Formats: sequence, structure tokens, C-alpha cells
Amino acid sequence: MTSSATPSRKALSKIASNRLQKEVVEWQVNPPAGFKHKVTDNIQRWIIDVVGAAGTLYANETYQLQVDFAEHYPMEAPQVIFIPPAPLHPHIYSNGHICLDILYDSWSPAMTVSSICVSILSMLSSSTTKQRPIDNDRYIKNCKNGKSPKETRWWFHDDKI
Amino acid sequence: MDSEDDMHDAHDVESLDDDFYSGDTPMGSEDGDAEYDFVDNESEDSEDVTSHRQQQSYTILSVSDIRQRQEEDIHRVSTVLSISRVAACVLLRHYKWSVSRVHDEWFADEENVRKVVGLLEKPVEMPNARELPCGICFESYSSNEMTAAACGHPFCSACWRGYVGTAISDGPGCLMLRCPDPSCGVAVGEDMIRMLASDEDKQKYSRYLLRSYIEDNRKTKWCPAPGCEFAVEFVMGSSSYDVTCNCSYSFCWNCTEEAHRPVDCATVAKWILKNCAESENMNWILANSKPCPKCKRPIEKNQGCMHITCTPPCKFEFCWLCLGAWSEHGERTGGFYACNRYEAAKQEGAYDESERRREMAKNSLERYTHYYERWATNQSSRQKALADLHSMQNEKLEKLSDRQSQPESQLKFIIEAWLQIVECRRVLKWTYAYGYYLLENEYAKRQFFEYLQGEAEAGLERLHQCAEKELQVYLEAEAPTKDFNYFRTKLAGLTSVTRNYFENLVRALETGLRDVGPSGNQANANKNTSPKSLLGGKGGKSGKAKVIGTSSRSGDEAWTMATIGLASTAPTRTRGRQTCARCANSTGRFGLCCLLLCD
Ligand SMILES: [Zn+2]
Ligand SMILES: [Zn+2]
Ligand SMILES: [Zn+2]
Ligand SMILES: [Zn+2]
Ligand SMILES: [Zn+2]
Ligand SMILES: [Zn+2]
Repeated sequence: MTSSATPSRKALSKIASNRLQKEVVEWQVNPPAGFKHKVTDNIQRWIIDVVGAAGTLYANETYQLQVDFAEHYPMEAPQVIFIPPAPLHPHIYSNGHICLDILYDSWSPAMTVSSICVSILSMLSSSTTKQRPIDNDRYIKNCKNGKSPKETRWWFHDDKI
Repeated sequence: MDSEDDMHDAHDVESLDDDFYSGDTPMGSEDGDAEYDFVDNESEDSEDVTSHRQQQSYTILSVSDIRQRQEEDIHRVSTVLSISRVAACVLLRHYKWSVSRVHDEWFADEENVRKVVGLLEKPVEMPNARELPCGICFESYSSNEMTAAACGHPFCSACWRGYVGTAISDGPGCLMLRCPDPSCGVAVGEDMIRMLASDEDKQKYSRYLLRSYIEDNRKTKWCPAPGCEFAVEFVMGSSSYDVTCNCSYSFCWNCTEEAHRPVDCATVAKWILKNCAESENMNWILANSKPCPKCKRPIEKNQGCMHITCTPPCKFEFCWLCLGAWSEHGERTGGFYACNRYEAAKQEGAYDESERRREMAKNSLERYTHYYERWATNQSSRQKALADLHSMQNEKLEKLSDRQSQPESQLKFIIEAWLQIVECRRVLKWTYAYGYYLLENEYAKRQFFEYLQGEAEAGLERLHQCAEKELQVYLEAEAPTKDFNYFRTKLAGLTSVTRNYFENLVRALETGLRDVGPSGNQANANKNTSPKSLLGGKGGKSGKAKVIGTSSRSGDEAWTMATIGLASTAPTRTRGRQTCARCANSTGRFGLCCLLLCD
């Protein structure tokens, strides 16, 4: 667990915790295919197991996502990272940070944890090579001191993967 | 050149001030090719010279001008495309406020444009049900508590308010707000913002909208002066990037640094970067205190001009920049003594490699220091001159008018002198950045450049000194001073001479010192002189020569002597055409000597 990589967070607002309660219920009734989440006391941080889809480069591999919710969720996007070892993928850095627009600029409060999971799985499934982003080393160096991926100015250059 | 040099020497021995008309700017030379064209038309005056340079290649816009233009553009698009005001605003914002671009795109493919910017042709009603789930908080509400954009995707008002508020506090991206539904993309326009945002957020939004009109438009920029709210619309393809805002700040429209004509933007950027890198080393240079080169007591510089006089009993007069004796300044004998010129330390004898390298490093720092100090000192001199200009305009002119019984309208020449000083300090400052990057091995260019710069600098020092120190006497006088007219002529003359030197310099740098030749550099430079520029003063002030000729002053003797000497070969005036005894022609061309003789 990389607790150091998590910025200290304010407690959830009333609106945020109401909405998260609803998401938990919805998840239990109708979890996204390939994802498992064990509900704990800590509603502000979800640890989710991801299993690579059959017929893709990540078939039968299991990874863990860590989702942290901010005080003003869902107006603010949650922070989503893979807990290392992160899948080898051109948009996933070795520290688990994910270059995916909906986690940052393109977040909308009408999105949910479940819709994020679907996007991440589709990102994994469409990959044709297992490799790190070309700027991985530089990025990791810049991220020392436990910087959040939300502090990065992302440049989303590849729409296909 | 020889004959000119001889003349300078003769004058320079007498005094410094006489440089003013002996000038290194050549007088009418023997072959009759006087270097300064003079225009007969007396209505050509200094304003023309400045305005022909600006030629309104830009318009200054106030906040209300901007709002009005923006409103007009929105109105035009909304009328031509028959769409709502809000939709027109969304479209214009998307196409960077170019009305013609909006029209082109819309009429080429309206359907696609609508899709791209998120404008529906027909609004969609919200689902018809008594209760609807909000797409954000997932609570259910009765449909009259729900709000939707044109797409009909329902969200409760609390969620809408949160959505809009978050977007506005995130920055100008709120101008392109879309429906929260990830699959939707319909634009959320100003009408929704008015309905949903707090008063404070509405104000923020309208500020972003105003800013966008300036910042997203290729043809407009904000004035970079701190606290200034004017914007500038620039006419693309104009020859000069220099822009002067209504707040009086001058800047380069291209790079938004302070105006730096005649130096180009790339050189300025390099220079500023260099200064950042060296800033720690250079801090001491900005300190306004140096030891007197003679008595070693610390001297504080509190004036704009570089001519410093140590306090009694020393009273040594020296140049602030090079710490050389002021009496040597401008001297042309025995080679070229100039404060503007950097000479690397002489390297004599054999050096071993490491010593040579050390020497080179030392020289390169010294070289930079030389240029930086002159750059920075002209900058602070300019600030001082600007302050002096303001105090002149706001209080001293009135006092002077009182003391000298002169209507303020007759004192305009003083303001013109200060304006010229402020502008020349700016130009001179930037020529030091230029000089730093001028290649050492372009010897002829460098020599030509240093010649022009030296001339301009010497002229400016005389002008600055006259406006700063000599004026003081008349300000403090108890009663009107008889020779005030003498002062008027001198200051106005120095103003136009200095303007002329600087126009030469600017023009030469802007043409990349192309006129440099093996000999006759100066003559070439002077041929470039604008015909309008020399006298530049108001026409029709006859009797200048008389006043000077008859005024006898105890101070400034050399100046008076020389003047009388010139005046004794009296000029003859012919109607419409000027004839000067000294420059010996009636072709309408003037040498500097004529400045005081002829009118
Ligand atoms: Zn809601
Ligand atoms: Zn919608
Ligand atoms: Zn301004
Ligand atoms: Zn520039
Ligand atoms: Zn002294
Ligand atoms: Zn000097």
C-alpha cells in the first residue's frame, strides 16, 4: 500500500457521502464485469480488484485500483491509481498513475466509480503492447514526494488506447 | 571625415557644450552634400515625426469599448444566423471571436458546427414523468424541481449549482461548459449561468467572457502594465510593434515586453534570460552608490544624467558609468574616447592555456557587466526622468510660468524635452542589449554602431543635463530672468538634435547596420535621416539668432562665444527658403550650425 502517495483529505461532505452510499448499493447489486470491491468501514477509499479480460494482453492478470474520494465528490473527480505493481501499459506509469482524461479534465459529476472502471478495463483491453509510457522515468522522478496524479497537467495525446 | 574631425577638436577644446552645434554630426560639408535635409514647409513639426512613426497601427480599447464590441459581434452573428444571443455567444467563443469564421463555418456545414459546439436545433423536453432521478446525486425529485439544458437531461438544482460553481471556480473553461451527462455535450450557455450561479460567480463568469474576447482573439492583447485595464487591438502587418497604451506604458505588441525598438524581440528575450541567470552577480551594479574616482568618498547618484559632481571640496566631475573625468567625455582627439564602448583587457605576452581561459572568462563577465550596467542605469535614469516629467507637468511648470512670467503654453518645449529624454533613455537602454550581442568580429558594424550610439548618448547627456540642472536656475529665480529665451533656444535645440541622433541610431539598427561601408559610415547614416527630423521645432520663431547673439552671459562662456562667432556671419533669410551663411546654401538643406543661426 502506498499510503504516502495519498494526500491528506478532508472528510466527505454530506452530499458526497450520500452519493457514495448510493454507489455502494448499486455496485453490490450490479458490479461492473471483471471488478471486485470489498466494502470496508472506510467509504472514502475503495480498493478494487481488476481482472484482465479474456482474449486480451492482460487476461487472467489481477491488479488493484485505489480510489480516493475528495470532500466535494462528485463535483471533484476521485483520485484513481493502480497499486504497484501496475499493469504494463503505454498509459500507465510504474507508480500506478493513469493517463486517462475522464480522471482529470474530462471528469463529469454524472460519472461513477463503476463508469470509471469500465473505461479503465476498456483502456487495458485495447492495448496492443505491454510497455510503459515513453516518458515513464522522467515522470516518476517528477512525482517523488508523493505527488498526486491530479497535480499533473496531463496531455491526452492518444485517443485510441 | 578629416575636416570634420578637425572641427570637433577645435570646439571640444573650448567646451563641452559646444558639441551641441559643432556636433559630430557633420555640418554642411564642402561638397555641398549637407547631411540633413530640411523641409521648407514649416508646418512640419515634431508631432508629425512621432505620429508618422506610429501611424495608428493599433487601437486602445477600454473595458466599455470591449463590452460594446463584444455585444455588437454577438448581435451580428445572432442576426445573420437567426439564432439566440446565447447561442451566438457560444459560437463566437468557440471560433475565437472571429465573426467571419463563424459565418464561414456555419454556412459551410451548419449540422457539423452544431455538433461540435453543442447547439441543438430543437430543444429536447425533459422525460415526461412525475418523478425523475437526478443524474448526479441519484435522488429523485418531482419534475418541476429539475432543470435541464437544451438536451433535456435532468439534474436537481442543487447539483446544477454545484456543477456550475465548480466550473466557474476552476477558471475560464466554464465558458465552454457542457451538460454533465458524459454522453451528451450540449452547451451550457450564459442563460443557464444567470439562472444558476451565485452573484459573485456571475461576475466572475462575465469577467472571463470579457477576457476571452481579448485573450482568445489573435488581434487583441491586454496592456501588460500592472493594474492597467486597457487592451490593444493591433493591425496585423504593421511595420512597428511598439504600442503606447492610454496608461502611458509602451510595450511591444509581439512579445509584450516593454517597448524595445529598435532591438528585435529575440534579442530582448535572450537578454532578459541572460539577466535572470546573472541577476545575483549583477545586484551590486544597481546599487546607487560608487566611490568618487578622485577622493574615494561614496557618491550617491540621485539624478538622471550621468554627469556627476562630487561634493565640495573635491568637486571632481566625472561620468557615472565609466568613472572617467567628465572633461574627457566626447573628446575625439587621440582616438575614440567613448563611454559606450567596451574594450577587452589587453592581453600582452604569452599566456598558458589555463591562464588564457581564466582571462577569457573574466573578460566575458566584464564584457557583460559593461553592457548590463549601461542597460540598467539607463533604465533607472528613464524612471527618474519619467518622475521628473510628471512633476514638471503637475507642479513645476506652473511655478516656472509664474517665476518667469511666461504663459504655460510657451513652456511646452520643456515637456517636449522631457518626453524626448524618456524616450531616448528607453532606446539607449535597448541598444546596450543590442551591442552585447553584436559579434566581436563584425568590426566595421561594431565601429559604426558604437559611433552612432556614442553620438546619441553624448547628445542625450547634454539634453538631460540641460533639462535637469540648468532649468533649476530659472525655477529658483526670484524674478523673470533675462536670458530665459536663451535657455529656451538651447533646450529646444538640444531636444531636436538629440531626437535626430536617436532617429539615426534607430534607423541604422533597424536596417541591421546595412549601411556600413569601409568609409563614410557617418555620411551614410545621415542620408537616412528623416527630412523632417532635424529642426522638428515649431516653425516661425524668428529671431532666435538675434536673441542669442545679443545675450551675453557670464556662465557658459564657450557656448555664447561660439554663438556670437557664428552669428557674426549673419544669415540672410529668404522667403520660403532658408539660407544659412555657415552652411552656405539656400537649397533648404541644413547643417547643425544652422540651428541657432537660422530659423
Ligand atoms: Zn442532484
Ligand atoms: Zn445533456
Ligand atoms: Zn496600459
Ligand atoms: Zn518584442
Ligand atoms: Zn570626490
Ligand atoms: Zn562615461
